[in-house]
Amino acid sequence: MLRGTQDSLDNNLIKQLPYATAFINSDLEVVHASDRWISEFDLEEKEVIGKTLRQIFPDIRNSWKKDLKKVLKGGGKTTDIECFLDQNGQEHWFNWTNSPWHDQKGAIIGVIIQTEDITNEIFDSAKLEKLEILLNDKSEISRIGSWQFDAVKKELIWCDITKEIHEVPLDYKPNIETAISFYKEGYSRNTIAMAVDQAMVEGKPWNEKLQLVTAKGNEIWVIAAGKPIFKDDKFLGLIGTFQDITNDIISQRKNEEQERLFQSIFNSSYQFTGILDLDGTFLQINETALDFADLKEKDVVGKKFWDAYWWPIPDMIRDGLKTVVKAAAGGEIMRSEIVVLDKNQEIVPVDFSLKPIFDKKKKVTSLLAEGRMIKEMVVAREKLKVSEKKFRALFELSPIAINLSDYDTGEILEINSAFTEALGFGNEEITNLKYNSLVPNTKNLKLNQIKEILEKEGTFGPLEHELIRKDGSTFKASLSGSLVETKKGKRLLWTAAQDLTEVKRKEKQINEEKQLLRTLIDNLPLNVYIKDLESRKVLVNKAEMDYCGIKQHDDIIGKSDSDFYDDTSVKISREEDLQVMNTLTPILGKETINIKKDGKLTTFLTSKIPLIGEDGEAKGLIGISMDISDLKRKEKELQDLISVTSVQNKQLINFAHIVSHNLRSHSANFSMLLEFLVNETDETEKENLVKMLTEASDNLLETLDNLNEVVAISTNVNLEKKPVNLLKKISAVEQNLSAFLKKNNAQILNEIPSDTKVNVVPAYLDSILMNFMTNAVKYKDPQRDPVVKLSLDLCDGYKVLSITDNGLGIDLDKYGAKLYGMYKTFHDNPDARGIGLYITKNQVEAMNGKITVSSEPGKGSTFNIHFNEKN
Amino acid sequence: MNLERDRHLIFISMKKIRAISIIDDDPITVFGIKKMLSSIEASEHITTYPNGKEAIDGIRLSLENGSGVPEVIFLDINMPIMDGWQFLEEFIALPLKERIRINIVTSSIDPADKQNWECYKEKTHHLLDYKNKPIRRSDILEITRVA
Repeated sequence: MLRGTQDSLDNNLIKQLPYATAFINSDLEVVHASDRWISEFDLEEKEVIGKTLRQIFPDIRNSWKKDLKKVLKGGGKTTDIECFLDQNGQEHWFNWTNSPWHDQKGAIIGVIIQTEDITNEIFDSAKLEKLEILLNDKSEISRIGSWQFDAVKKELIWCDITKEIHEVPLDYKPNIETAISFYKEGYSRNTIAMAVDQAMVEGKPWNEKLQLVTAKGNEIWVIAAGKPIFKDDKFLGLIGTFQDITNDIISQRKNEEQERLFQSIFNSSYQFTGILDLDGTFLQINETALDFADLKEKDVVGKKFWDAYWWPIPDMIRDGLKTVVKAAAGGEIMRSEIVVLDKNQEIVPVDFSLKPIFDKKKKVTSLLAEGRMIKEMVVAREKLKVSEKKFRALFELSPIAINLSDYDTGEILEINSAFTEALGFGNEEITNLKYNSLVPNTKNLKLNQIKEILEKEGTFGPLEHELIRKDGSTFKASLSGSLVETKKGKRLLWTAAQDLTEVKRKEKQINEEKQLLRTLIDNLPLNVYIKDLESRKVLVNKAEMDYCGIKQHDDIIGKSDSDFYDDTSVKISREEDLQVMNTLTPILGKETINIKKDGKLTTFLTSKIPLIGEDGEAKGLIGISMDISDLKRKEKELQDLISVTSVQNKQLINFAHIVSHNLRSHSANFSMLLEFLVNETDETEKENLVKMLTEASDNLLETLDNLNEVVAISTNVNLEKKPVNLLKKISAVEQNLSAFLKKNNAQILNEIPSDTKVNVVPAYLDSILMNFMTNAVKYKDPQRDPVVKLSLDLCDGYKVLSITDNGLGIDLDKYGAKLYGMYKTFHDNPDARGIGLYITKNQVEAMNGKITVSSEPGKGSTFNIHFNEKN
Repeated sequence: MNLERDRHLIFISMKKIRAISIIDDDPITVFGIKKMLSSIEASEHITTYPNGKEAIDGIRLSLENGSGVPEVIFLDINMPIMDGWQFLEEFIALPLKERIRINIVTSSIDPADKQNWECYKEKTHHLLDYKNKPIRRSDILEITRVA
C-alpha cells in the first residue's frame, strides 16, 4: 500500500471498524480513521485525514508523541490511559493502544491507534466508591468508617465512624503517621505500612484484617481497605474504609474455641457419641465409643449405623435400627434403654438416644447418636426398686401409724393402714387433712416447738403428745418425725405415731403374763434353768436360785456350774449339755447326782431340752430338775429294809432247816433206839438203850431251849432300846465272870470311857458281852494267859465296841462263812455248843447293828460290835 | 422176823469188807450204825471219827502206813470243826484208785445239801449215796457193800 495515499477500499473498510481506530503515518498524519474514532473525538466537522495529530489535538502531551515515535522505531505496542478535556471542559478518559503499522514487507510505516472511551467506566467506578463511602457513612450498624488522604494537601480526613472506631474525639485531626501508629505494633502495623507504600508506588489497593489499638487502649479488629487515586499518572491520594469486626472476630474465635471444645468434649465424653447422616451412615464417632468396643475410627465412620459392631444380635434388630434412624431423620427424638456389646462381648445396658440436628431453617441436617452406660444405674435402680418395695411393705405393714405431709403447707400426702386404724381417717379423706388438725397445740407442746426442733435437727421425738382422731377424740401417742427434702426442694415430713394407750395396755398385759409365768416357774417344785452354749445359766427359777444359794436372779449371770458344784458334777453335767446341744435330742427324766461345793449331795430327776434357734442350731438348753433326794433316801431305806427282810427271811429258812435238822436228828435217834429196843432181848443192852433214849431226850430239850432263845430274839425285833452306860455293863459282866476269869488267869483291859452310852436293849447287851468275853477266854491259846482288850470307836454313825483277844484265832478263809452259823464250832473244845455267836449275831442285828471280825490263827481275834445309835 | 432173809442177803453180799469208817459227832447215831453193822457182821474194822477233821487226818495216816483206806464210809454233814462237805472236798482229792462207797447220812432236809451231793457225785469216781436219818436195818445191808 502506498504511503500517504488513501485506498478507498481500505478507507471504507476502516471507516466501519467497531473500534475507534486511526492509522497514522510516520509524520504523525492521520491516513485513515474509523467513523467511531472521529465520533468519539468529536471530529465530525473537521477534516482529519492528512492532518497531523498535533493539528487535531493541539494540547497533546509530549509523552504521547514520544510513545508514538517509539512505536515507529520498532519499540512495539504501547498502551495507556489518557484523560482529555473536551471542548466543554468535560473529562474524557481513554484507554489507548498504539500498535505498529506494517507494510507488506513488514516495515513500519505508521502507527495504528486504537482508543476506547472508558470515561463512563471510570466515572462509574468513582461513583461506586462514592456510593460506598456514602453508604458507609450512613451505615453505623455495620460500623464501616471511611477516610481519604489528599496527597496534594497532605491532609487525612476521617469520617465520624472512623473516629469512633479509633475512639478519638470527633474534632480529632489525624495525619498519616498517627493513623498508622493506631495499628497494633507488629504484624498489623507492618502490614499497613507496606500496603500504603505499595499503593502509592504500584497503585495496588489493599484489604486486610488487622488489629488496632484505640485511643482508649482497646484492641479491636478491623478490615482495613484502601486504594490509591491517580490522575494522569499523578498520585492524588488514598481513599479507604475501616470496618470494626472485633465482635465478629471474637465470635469467630469463640466458634473456633467452641469447635475445639466440642471436639474435646466429643472425644473425652463418657458418653458414646456419634454423628450420623440422614441415611444412618456414621460421619463421626467419639473415642469413648471406639475404646469401649476396641474399635478404630475406620471401623465405624462411613459404615451404616445398624452394621456397627456393638449390636448383640444384629440380624434381629437391624430393621428396628433402620426405623429408628428414619424416625430421627424425620425430626423425632428417639430414646430407649438398650444393650450393647463391649470389647469382651459382654452385654452392657445403655441409655441410648438418637436426636435430629436441625439447621437454622429447621431442617434436619444430621443425627446425633448418644449412649450412656447405665450398668450401675440399672443395678442402682433395681436396688432402689427393692428398697422402695421394702419401704412400701414396711410402711404398709408397720403397726405404727405413719403419715407423710408437706412440711410447709401441712397437707397430708400419704398415710398407712395403721394410721387409718388409729385415727379413723381413710386414704380418700386425707386430701382435706392438715397436719395441725391431727397434731394439736397443747399446753405442753406447740407445733411451733416441733417445727423449731425439726428445722434445727432434722428429726424430732419420740415425744409424748396428743393426737386427734376423726371423731374428735384424742389419745396419747409417742410421736417422732423426720424431715426430708426432695430433689425439687420440697420439704416433706414423715411422722410416726405410736398409740401409747395400746402399747401401755399390752405392756401391762405382757408384764402380767410375765409375772404370772415367773410366779409359776418360781413356785414349781422343780429347778428350772436356761443355759447358754457354754453351759452358763442365763435364767433360773426360785428353786434353782435357792439350790445354788443366790439371792438375786442377776447374780446367776456369768456364773457357770463350776461356781456351785464340785468338779465331777460339773464335768458330767457339761457332757450332758453338750450331748443335748449337739444331737438336739432331749435328755428326759435322767437320774443324776449333783454334789455342791460344800459336799452336799442331791439326787435329781433331770430333763434337758435343747433350745433351737432359727438357724436350726442349738443356742442353749432348758433344764428341769426335780429333787428326788428324799425319794431316793426312802427308796434306799426301802431297799435296806428289803435286804434286811430278805436276810431275815434267809435266816428264817436257815433257822427252819436248823430246827428241822435238829429235831429230825433227835427223832431219828429216838426212832433208831426204839427199833433196837423192840428187837433187843438182852436186858443189859435194853437198859443201855433206855439210858441212851433218856440222853437223847435231854438233848432234845436242850435243843428246844436253844431254839426258843433264838425265836425270842427274832420275834422281838422291835424291843425298846435305851441308852445304857457301856462301862457299867462291862463291869457287871466282869463281875459275873470273875470266877471263870480267875480260873483261866484272864486279864481284862478296859479302855472304854466311863461316860460312854450306847442305845441298846439292855438284856441283849448283857448276853452279847457275856458271850464275847467268855469266847475270848474259852478259846485261849494254851501257850499263854488270855488278855482281852475292850475299846470304843466311832465309825459311820455307829459306836463300835472292839473286843480283841490273844487266843487261838480262826481261819476265816475256811470258817468265815459259817462263823455265826447255828451249831457251828470250830475248835476242839468240849464246851463249844455252836450256839453263842449265832444268838449274839441275832441280837446285834435285832438292834440294827452289825458284827465284823478280823482274826489270824495262832494270834487272836477282834470282834467289832457296831451299835446303831439312830434306831 | 426178817432174819432168814437178812441172813440170806448177808450170805450173798458178804464179800469181806476190810474196813468201814463212821464220821459223825452224834454218839447215838454212831452207836446205832455200829450196832446195825455188827448185826450183819459187815466188817472186823470199824473206825469212828467225831468230825471231818479227825477223819481225814486218820485216813491220811492209814494211807501213809499202808493199812489202806476204808471201803465204806458213813458221813454226817453237820459236824464241828470240819463238816461233811469239807471232808469230802479233801477226801476226793486223795490219790485213790479204788472206788470207795460214801454214804452221806444226815437229818438235814435242806435242798442245798442235796444239791451239794449232786455236785460232788459228778466230781468224783467214788460212789456217793445220800440217806436221811434214821438208817434202817433194812437199808444197812444194801449200803454196806463194796462199791
